[in-house]
Amino acid sequence: MQNLRVAVDVGGTFTDMCIMDEATGLIRIEKTSSTADPIEGIMTGVARAGIDLAEVALFSHGTTVATNALITRRLPRTALVSTKGFRDVIEIRRANKEDLWDAYKDVVRPYIPRRDRLTVPERVDAAGTIIEPLDLDAAREVARILKRRGVEAIAVCFMNAYLNGDNERAMRDILVEAMPNIPVSISSQVLPEIFEHERFSTTVVNAALSPVVVDYTKRLGDRLAEDGYTRDLLLLHTGGGVMTPGSVKDFAARLAGSGIAAGAIASRHIAGLCGFPNAIGLDMGGTSTDVSLAYEGQSRVTKDWYIEFGYPIRFSSIEVMTIGAGGGSLAWTDEAGSLRNGPQSAGAYPGPACYGNGNEQPTNTDANVTLGRLGTSLAGGSVRLDAGLARKAVESGVAKAFDLTVEEAAEAIIKVANANMSDAVRLISISRGYDPRDFALVAFGGAGALHGAAVARELAIPVVIVPTNPGVTSALGCLLVDMQHDFSENCMIEAAAADPEAIEAQFARIEAEALDRLTHEGVRAEDIVFQRSIDMMYRGQWRSLAVTAPSPIRSIDALVEDFHREHDREYNFRRDDTPVSLFRVNLKAIGVVPKADLLVHEPTGESPPPAGRRTVWFDGEPHETPIYDRAVLPAGFAIEGPAVVEQVDSTTVVPPWAKAEVDKYLNIIIRAKG
Amino acid sequence: MAAEQLDPVTFEVLKNSFITAVDQMGEQVLRTCYSFVIYNHDFSSGLHDAKGECAAQGNQDIAVHVGTLHFTCQDVMRHFEGDMHEGDVYAINDPYAGGTHFSDVRLVRPIFADGKVIAYAQSNGHWSDVGGSVPGSFDVSAREMFREGLRITPVRLFSKNELHRDVAGLIAHNTRDPASIIGDMQAQAQATRVCEREILRLVGKYGRDTIETGLSAVQDYVERAVRQRIAAMPDGEWETVDFIDRDPAGGEGMIPIRIKMTIKGDKVIYDFTGSHPVIGSIYNSAFGTTFSGVAAGMKTFFPDVPLNSGFYRAFEIIAPEGSIVDARWPVAVTGFLMPFEKIMNSIYEMWSRLMPERALACAFNLEYLLTGGWDARAADKSIFMFYDWLPGGWGGRNGKDGNNCTTASFGTGMNAQPVEGQERANPILCTEMEIVTDSPGPGKWRGGAGLVKTSRMLESEDVVISYICDRERAVVWGIEGGLPSMPHGLTLTRAGGDRDERLGAIFSDVTIREGDVFTRPTAGGGGFGDPLERDPKRVLEDVVDDYVSVDRAAKDYGVVIRTIDAELCEYEIDEAATAALREEIRASRVAWARVDPEEVAARYRSGEIDAFDVIRRHAVILEWDSGALLPESTRQFREVFERRSVGEWAKA
Repeated sequence: MQNLRVAVDVGGTFTDMCIMDEATGLIRIEKTSSTADPIEGIMTGVARAGIDLAEVALFSHGTTVATNALITRRLPRTALVSTKGFRDVIEIRRANKEDLWDAYKDVVRPYIPRRDRLTVPERVDAAGTIIEPLDLDAAREVARILKRRGVEAIAVCFMNAYLNGDNERAMRDILVEAMPNIPVSISSQVLPEIFEHERFSTTVVNAALSPVVVDYTKRLGDRLAEDGYTRDLLLLHTGGGVMTPGSVKDFAARLAGSGIAAGAIASRHIAGLCGFPNAIGLDMGGTSTDVSLAYEGQSRVTKDWYIEFGYPIRFSSIEVMTIGAGGGSLAWTDEAGSLRNGPQSAGAYPGPACYGNGNEQPTNTDANVTLGRLGTSLAGGSVRLDAGLARKAVESGVAKAFDLTVEEAAEAIIKVANANMSDAVRLISISRGYDPRDFALVAFGGAGALHGAAVARELAIPVVIVPTNPGVTSALGCLLVDMQHDFSENCMIEAAAADPEAIEAQFARIEAEALDRLTHEGVRAEDIVFQRSIDMMYRGQWRSLAVTAPSPIRSIDALVEDFHREHDREYNFRRDDTPVSLFRVNLKAIGVVPKADLLVHEPTGESPPPAGRRTVWFDGEPHETPIYDRAVLPAGFAIEGPAVVEQVDSTTVVPPWAKAEVDKYLNIIIRAKG
Repeated sequence: MAAEQLDPVTFEVLKNSFITAVDQMGEQVLRTCYSFVIYNHDFSSGLHDAKGECAAQGNQDIAVHVGTLHFTCQDVMRHFEGDMHEGDVYAINDPYAGGTHFSDVRLVRPIFADGKVIAYAQSNGHWSDVGGSVPGSFDVSAREMFREGLRITPVRLFSKNELHRDVAGLIAHNTRDPASIIGDMQAQAQATRVCEREILRLVGKYGRDTIETGLSAVQDYVERAVRQRIAAMPDGEWETVDFIDRDPAGGEGMIPIRIKMTIKGDKVIYDFTGSHPVIGSIYNSAFGTTFSGVAAGMKTFFPDVPLNSGFYRAFEIIAPEGSIVDARWPVAVTGFLMPFEKIMNSIYEMWSRLMPERALACAFNLEYLLTGGWDARAADKSIFMFYDWLPGGWGGRNGKDGNNCTTASFGTGMNAQPVEGQERANPILCTEMEIVTDSPGPGKWRGGAGLVKTSRMLESEDVVISYICDRERAVVWGIEGGLPSMPHGLTLTRAGGDRDERLGAIFSDVTIREGDVFTRPTAGGGGFGDPLERDPKRVLEDVVDDYVSVDRAAKDYGVVIRTIDAELCEYEIDEAATAALREEIRASRVAWARVDPEEVAARYRSGEIDAFDVIRRHAVILEWDSGALLPESTRQFREVFERRSVGEWAKA
């Protein structure tokens, strides 16, 4: 009987596994160390958790294999074939820099060096007409040279190919004929969208990653099959859904940010279960914090992202903002006497001062220990923190410089860290027209629950949700996904001239392709959901705004009114007298994977006593504070702040001005008192 | 010390919140603007205190606006003193009041708390057109402002958050694209409102007095940080000179901009005495942009320090009135970015000696092409305006090659435009946009590579082309023994013609027709350090990637490379030949750099040597099409070449 669902999230340090029994709704967690070949860590975890793979109905996986391959440049030798005169598009890029002022901080090198960028005579004009057919002799010459060089993947990117891919396809056929086993990505198929650098860059990433992820998913799939797994391995992609290994070959770039989406999905889902369709995810780890936002049950997505600055990947991605604030972030005083926090971090080693590995600069963790918010025994006693060293670091690093008591200094450190996180949340919410008061904050990651209540208060967010296993929430995210593919195509026309039937036909064609792909992945027709949107703008504007589109499309006027309203919400003004243009049509094709319900716990009425008490500092005052063991807290249990709740992978702080309750899923829900 | 009036947490929180408020303005402008120039990141945003001093400028702002926002804010304050109201927004674009050029239009909003102005928000963006005699408002033949565009001295553009349609209409209808101009007014005004909302949130949380204290404390903080670093430098004087190619209204000879930098204690003084008077083109700088060139150049050596008036208080500028760095009304200044970049690169050079760990050689010069006319590709013709700017190479650095293909030092956030977008909007086909082999200025650490863009006119009518560039003569230079790159300049090939016509780096209103082809290279960056000391393996890698040719690997670096199999990228260094060639160059090169310029010009005309040889070996400046010697320009070029390159070889 196949009644297990397994989700694996492989991170830099740990491989987290979430195992759900569909029959009981119970979730188990397994954590193992990540290994050089991530598959070893995964199989170790499977064995250690005692999973019989024959009983697994669904195995989903978020992986950093593609991300790491890009960052480390451990990529197969990949060639780019482009239009004569356009050898350097991916090196010229948009020519901008990420750090505008530091002349020694460079944009990293392109994924394909200049030597492996070849060109052929051919040209399509801006109307999509072939004004110069592909020079077949030159194309065969390129194929011959690339074969001699032994390249392992090829990207074909021609100018204006988003309008007409004939020349690209002809080039691909010649390459495939010469090298039948080498994957070839062509830009008119990977991303048929205007703007050469963005399209070329996405296609290049796709080509270079294809051998990497095909090899990886095949090896993992084979290992799982050997041990009895009979279904498709499901791979989490950057857009927040999963796809099967069959699709990975053609759309490898979609896995480039596989690891970043899981936390956002989990926080959206958990908040939804708790009755909050609007959620901000605050995933605070050792070195950084990821912030994400879901509105009305949908994660915010962006097409404006990259793994490394300068090399865009224009597939829909769940929007995650990362800032350098984590438990290990260093507090320091700069030359002009300002108290700073991060982005430098003590890292995993030597880590915070209280780890006793030689770092003497205070970190957020040291400040939390000094204030008593964090205990000195973590991870079930396997990690001991030295409160004396923490105190010493806070004293010498901050207290002396500002003439503060040690507790005041520790609190100052935490307040600056909280303010930095609040600023990041503001950028992703208020500055996009969302009011934080309409949201719940989902605080997770190793350190999220230590800071969540204070960050929420700073932003007037009324509710904080701390999931049951904050340290492995991302793995839970992998468990809660649907099959999903994102399609987009340009549709550049004035709204006044747009024909609803033509747009309807364009959507219908894309939907047929989506249906085909999902069907091939084994999704039943009744489980398929299409979500349409159209990117629109005022004529003359340069950025577009996505507006949800109905099916079928009957009226352009209704779309235009929706656009005015959305523009007003996001930017605080609308121009009813200005013509509106359509730019792009988008389709999100979802194959709904039935979700097992999380186990619901009935209130027991029990009131377990605190496991202990210690002095915890809040707002300059010491408080005798109860310390609870989360493992024994039943549903319905109410906590009056101040209180601290400890568990293996995290610590939750309930400040004196707050109260908390354990809900039926065993999440801790924190609100302000009164 | 004002920071002491605030507790450390409040201070740090406010400091970051002010910057966040300003960055939110920038983000909103980017998302809602109409001007494609703004969209490509030519904009800036500022938060000012009640005195108009700058408390925070955006992290992503373009360099060329740095240090000018407080001038325009204060000019607005002077005009509307005692007559400011909540919901007012004012516009100004006046370069004679500290602005940059007419295209950069600033909207300023006073922020009120309890009936009192406590701050100002300012949004500055480059509009696509502000009138004047040519599309895009860059007429290089202008000598006075009246041909350049509309001068907006402070006007009230919004009252009670409502646009004054009369004033807005007057401004917009003096431009070539009124609908977009009105759109940008609204986009910028709403952006200042975003900042107002954030500041009022902070007032609500911390109280008005705390915010006012914070606005001045963040300036004191930056001033303290900069002064401490300056105080750590040795006292002394440093001097340099850089050049504009020529005065179109004057004789042959480059136009010097001289700077003497004095460090005394915790203060820096930049003295421009000896700089040339204003010239007969638009390449003049009013005081505001001279100030900006100094601030932006210096900021490159203090990349982590936030930008605000505290930074600007740490230096002082002496600029002779009426000189090219202090042009007064009504002298034309729209091409101010040409002197601006000379100032920035001069500051790089002087600070490179003070901070060798951040040293960098000269970067390529910004170039700007303007074309306009009728697009006749479709049956119903329409007006088009094609403005384009290209990236190029940045200077070699201490221990690192320069950046390839990067936006000009005028603002590294500025984006290059996509060719596919340009081809949709304009009857122009791009046939080439690629790196130029051998463009990097040779050095132990070479400059970055420049590129070339070639465009062919499609069906069109009544099209004229103008070009704004420089360093066709004042060629991008190396430091510490590094060599120059190559000259800028546009070449036109008429349809059916067999002769190239070199139009150079500055011209306007040249008529072009369907089938005409124009080509614009951008220079690479200058080299850093003696090229004969470059690791031959690095030269080999550059040859494999075609950044450097086999021929110039030998001539510039003395590295002899044999081709084994180019198809497989296989090359090898001939070690013995390299050692011998390097010895030969070392023994001869000082004499090469001092050989009679007329003799060099003659060899160039005969085809025996090319422009790379003329510049890099002989430091001679020619009229590049005719090969005629430019004696005064050569004299000036050699003077600085002796100091930056020849003099450094002798040391080693």
